[in-house]
Amino acid sequence: MTAAAAPMPAGMPVISLRDVTKVYDSGDSAVHALRGVDLDIASGESIAIMGPSGSGKSTLMHIVGCLDVPSSGEYELAGTPVSRLSNRELARIRNQRIGFVFQAYNLLPRASILRNVELPMMYAGVGRAERQTRARAALGKVGLADRAPHLPSQLSGGQRQRVAIARALVNNPSILLADEPTGNLDTQTGREILALFDELGHQGHTVILVTHDMNVAAHAKRVIRIVDGRIADGPGGEQGDTGTPA
Amino acid sequence: MTLRESVVDALVEVRVNRGRTVLQTLGVILGVASLVAVQGLTDAGRRQAVSFFSEMGGLRKILVLNKPAKERVQSARQLASVGLTWGDVEALRREVKEATRVDPIASVPLMVRTPSYLKERDISGLTPDYQAVYNFYPARGRFLIDDDLASMSRVVVLGDSSARLYFGNEDPIGKTLFIGDAGFRVVGVMRRKEFYFNEGDRNALEWMNRVTIIPITALYTRFTGDPDRKVNYINVMVDKVDNNRKAAEAIKTVLYRRHGGIQDFEVYNREERLRQEESQGRVFDVTFMVTGIVSLIVGGIVIMNIMLASLRDRIREVGVRKAIGARGIDVALQFLVESILVTSIGGLAGLPLGMLFANGITALLGQPAIITPKMAAVSIIASVSTGLVFGLYPAFKAARLNPVEALRYE
Repeated sequence: MTAAAAPMPAGMPVISLRDVTKVYDSGDSAVHALRGVDLDIASGESIAIMGPSGSGKSTLMHIVGCLDVPSSGEYELAGTPVSRLSNRELARIRNQRIGFVFQAYNLLPRASILRNVELPMMYAGVGRAERQTRARAALGKVGLADRAPHLPSQLSGGQRQRVAIARALVNNPSILLADEPTGNLDTQTGREILALFDELGHQGHTVILVTHDMNVAAHAKRVIRIVDGRIADGPGGEQGDTGTPA
Repeated sequence: MTLRESVVDALVEVRVNRGRTVLQTLGVILGVASLVAVQGLTDAGRRQAVSFFSEMGGLRKILVLNKPAKERVQSARQLASVGLTWGDVEALRREVKEATRVDPIASVPLMVRTPSYLKERDISGLTPDYQAVYNFYPARGRFLIDDDLASMSRVVVLGDSSARLYFGNEDPIGKTLFIGDAGFRVVGVMRRKEFYFNEGDRNALEWMNRVTIIPITALYTRFTGDPDRKVNYINVMVDKVDNNRKAAEAIKTVLYRRHGGIQDFEVYNREERLRQEESQGRVFDVTFMVTGIVSLIVGGIVIMNIMLASLRDRIREVGVRKAIGARGIDVALQFLVESILVTSIGGLAGLPLGMLFANGITALLGQPAIITPKMAAVSIIASVSTGLVFGLYPAFKAARLNPVEALRYE
């Protein structure tokens, strides 16, 4: 991976949330998943978002990943306000600026490894020849160049997660968003995947790890805790839920 | 996402789910087969009718017949009219400008005698135009010529069967045939005419092989002695098919006037008759057409249901695709391409099956059916539009899935 992957100069906030809330309409009662979140993430930063289930951690990740939009507040991604973009524009941002890595890998089971990695470029309208070259290069970087024609089911969990990372990186996004990326892996394999994220971080990618696992979070330079829809304490802390409720 | 890649994805889905695809295509196969069969039968029927009529002189022909009055007590005017006459023929030749030939036929039963034959036969009094009007020419010798008409010659031209009947295997040309008491010289034998609507049927044109033809003038002077020179019917050849209707109207006008304002004749436009016969045949076609359309609708609903079930299995996949940048339209296209692919497979399988249907039916009727570009077009249009129509709902449902919920879906 080259450091050129992140287009923003290091240190500038690539992600900037201001008083972001999210309210879900759940039948008769409204669920306040986020109750006013302010968050800046600098380009090239490595950050972990932690929190128990139901804390709003997933909602925050969805909003940061442009899978969802805030109910109120502002979100700027690399200088673009994305709070009120159309579905079509959000799809384009997900395609170009964000790489997702999921706990369950989420590879398409009937497509070859190569095709899985090509997929984001298909949606970006990249031509076939260039797609294959870039997909092979991305697979090479995660050490799976020789597995290109295989199906996901022929690979181990760790290998599948590497394919998912190759897929996430292939469009050169500014942000890599990983949701419990080691959740389905044994400790040793999980460590290898986290080492890969560390390496990507060193190369200048902005890496956001969403996890409930302290050991995973320890790989990030900054840890943010979400409790009850709010960021629980000041920046940089790993000190637990000691923050005062606002 | 390009169409090409959507097709690749769809092909994979179809290949992986072979059994499901077979179920999905059954209705479409039957529906397309039925529609192809309709087209095949229509084509075959039309071809046959056209070739039958062209054997008898084509579609540019109008037949004028005597029609007996319906009323039991006839008016003086009706009694005064003698029906179609030679005079009408001459008037039509003069006044109907679309007519290229006006050919009268007068026919009376008379005793026919050769050394080996004696029987009453219908003797036709004709003019040289008969050949062109019926597309019917001599195989040996010659037909009547204008001279025969002018001089009321005692010459006779025989149909192929008549020649055999009267003279056995001998060559009849130059021999004498006695009609009534007069000897007629055989100057020609007509080409044999054959047309079989169904295999094993009787020859539908055998009546043409059984003619005994003499100059119409000879018939009047030597046998009927008819001062009105009545004719049994008149064939009018029109310059082009498009003028059939116009010519028929002109003929009616002329005859109506000459017959003192009573309609003791009928005018048949052959093109109209062909159309009538086709519309009768359509009752049969409509059954198939309805079967086909019902099958396509049922097949389409099956496809829609299976696509919806398949979507339920693939909600997570849709979520993943959206997460990595698929727009709604990309997802919709993917599902739509898949359902169109499935129905196209049904259409491809339905085409030969429809051919078999058509051939099975035409074998019973003895009609030949061939595959035509129209049939192929029917199968393509029917199958693709079924896939499109019934694929739309699942496709839009997939496109509208919320990515967050889709990703969470277990």
